[in-house]
Amino acid sequence: MTDGPNGAVVSAVGVSRAFSMPAGPVVAVRDVTLTIAPGEHTAIRGPSGCGKSTLLHILGCVDAPTSGSLIFDGRDVAGLSDRARSLLRLRHIGFVFQRFFLLPMLTAAENVELPQAEAGVAKAERRHRSLELLDYVGLGARAGHRPSQLSGGEMQRVAIARALANQPRLLLADEPTGELDQVTGEHVAALLDRVNADGTALVVVTHDLALAGRARRVLTMRDGRIEDEARQ
Amino acid sequence: MRAPLAFAWRSLVRQPARAALAILGVAAVGALLLDMLLLSEGLVLSMRELLDRMGFDIRVTAVEALPGSGPDLTDAPAAAAAIAALPGVRAVRTIRSEGVELWTDTVHSGGIFLGVGGEPAQLWTILRGRDLAAGPELVISEYAADLLHLEPGDTVTVRASCDGGPEAPPPATFRVAGIVELPFDTPDAVTAGTTLASLEAACGVTGGIADFLAVASTGDADAAAARIRAARPDLRVFTNDEMIGLVQQGGFTYFRQISTVLTAVTVSFALLLITVLLTVSVNQRLAEVAALRALGFSRRRVVLDVLCESALIIGLGGALSLPLGLLLASWLDTILKRMPAIPAQIHFFVLEPQALAAHAALLAATALVAAVYPMQIVARLPIAATLRNEVIS
Repeated sequence: MTDGPNGAVVSAVGVSRAFSMPAGPVVAVRDVTLTIAPGEHTAIRGPSGCGKSTLLHILGCVDAPTSGSLIFDGRDVAGLSDRARSLLRLRHIGFVFQRFFLLPMLTAAENVELPQAEAGVAKAERRHRSLELLDYVGLGARAGHRPSQLSGGEMQRVAIARALANQPRLLLADEPTGELDQVTGEHVAALLDRVNADGTALVVVTHDLALAGRARRVLTMRDGRIEDEARQ
Repeated sequence: MRAPLAFAWRSLVRQPARAALAILGVAAVGALLLDMLLLSEGLVLSMRELLDRMGFDIRVTAVEALPGSGPDLTDAPAAAAAIAALPGVRAVRTIRSEGVELWTDTVHSGGIFLGVGGEPAQLWTILRGRDLAAGPELVISEYAADLLHLEPGDTVTVRASCDGGPEAPPPATFRVAGIVELPFDTPDAVTAGTTLASLEAACGVTGGIADFLAVASTGDADAAAARIRAARPDLRVFTNDEMIGLVQQGGFTYFRQISTVLTAVTVSFALLLITVLLTVSVNQRLAEVAALRALGFSRRRVVLDVLCESALIIGLGGALSLPLGLLLASWLDTILKRMPAIPAQIHFFVLEPQALAAHAALLAATALVAAVYPMQIVARLPIAATLRNEVIS
């Protein structure tokens, strides 16, 4: 897949997202325009409920804006079928969640293999790549361990390896250190820096000022809008 | 691991106790289902097998009634001779049954006396000794032999009482040629069989009367039956298929009705069991499913995982239900056969490929239908909202 017309991995143009609630509609994201360039490292911060995660979900094609458009690699995502959006996520987007969401019945290596298997990668190749990725995140020796045998930081590192399994162009991380202590969070943040330095565009949603401070571009959201943008 | 079945298996066994309970539940329900299916046709199939085993595929009676249950044929020898001469007919036997008293020096018993015209008799299976030869000989059922302490070669005194004969004919002495098994005998039947001529002699009557004629065709029973009907329109002719039809009209449908109702109940129970288990299981891992969808798993794939899980529970439970069902059927058969007047060789539960196919088809349909609701949950799962709710919770 090539870059979009403007060279962006993903562009949100005037996107808003409203949720129907019993007390009336709640607008989580209001008229946000944002472009993520290849290899860019962006942090989105702001108070709880400001719409950070919703914006991340829109950028990751797991949620659809109620207005505005999302262009991924030059294609308007609104025009894609559910199947095509799944394929887009599978091949081009990696997700890291606050709560890891590793499958407890699979080993670390099998968890990393899972998206590759879904993408149709041959067994030997995906096994090899999974071990490579676990080495990359410093868990080569824990490939055969199940999530219950890993610490929180180790689980998040496996989740990062899983997110990288199909070599995505964009890695989205939603509070990736939210469940971790400070030292472990530092290790995970350093790993994300390395992933970005190796060429993957990274968007991190976080409360953590230190984690946000590692990004070259920091967006501050309030009431669904991008209130401030800083580049370092 | 990519194969959905393998993935579903891993999902299933992450809760081993729940998986085991589900599989055992399906096994129990599947066993009952199998038994109901075996019961629905068991008696009919068993009856059919006994009829076929006797080697005669046509019965001829005087009226539209099961052989032995209606008026006698009054010109049996002439009818037998006429039918034997028809093309497509291989053999004809004249069957007459009367009451009899049998006694030895020490034991006395009443019973049934069968007279068979035509040789060989072919109505019984020799267990010990030999078949009838010339002279006043008889064969007796195993139960009668035990009761009267008789073995082949022994003699027994017989007093037969025939319709149309003297009320108290003089007793006659018969030699026991063999101990036999009669297909429609009850376990405690005192039955003796001899030639029609010997029975008539014992009764003090002349020939002419029979309960029915048993006819063996050369292969095409329907064609032979049609020829008999054309030759003797005054008689009623039944092929084995038609006999089974009569039997089914005559009360065997109860078992089919009962089994249909119980089959519906057991299938519904299996359906609810699997639906509840899968729904609980799916609801417990909504966040995982949403994460997999976010990682690029297609809707079709996550739905297929649920279907495979259902198929695994039903498949494993269903496989386990076969030996369990057969064991249960054997036990229930023993209990039901204790009812009075049930022939020893009749079975209520008969294993046959059609019942197995119906069992498999019903379980497969159950797996599919039981998975519909949990599949819907997964298919309609809002990815972003589920992930958000998980974090909030």
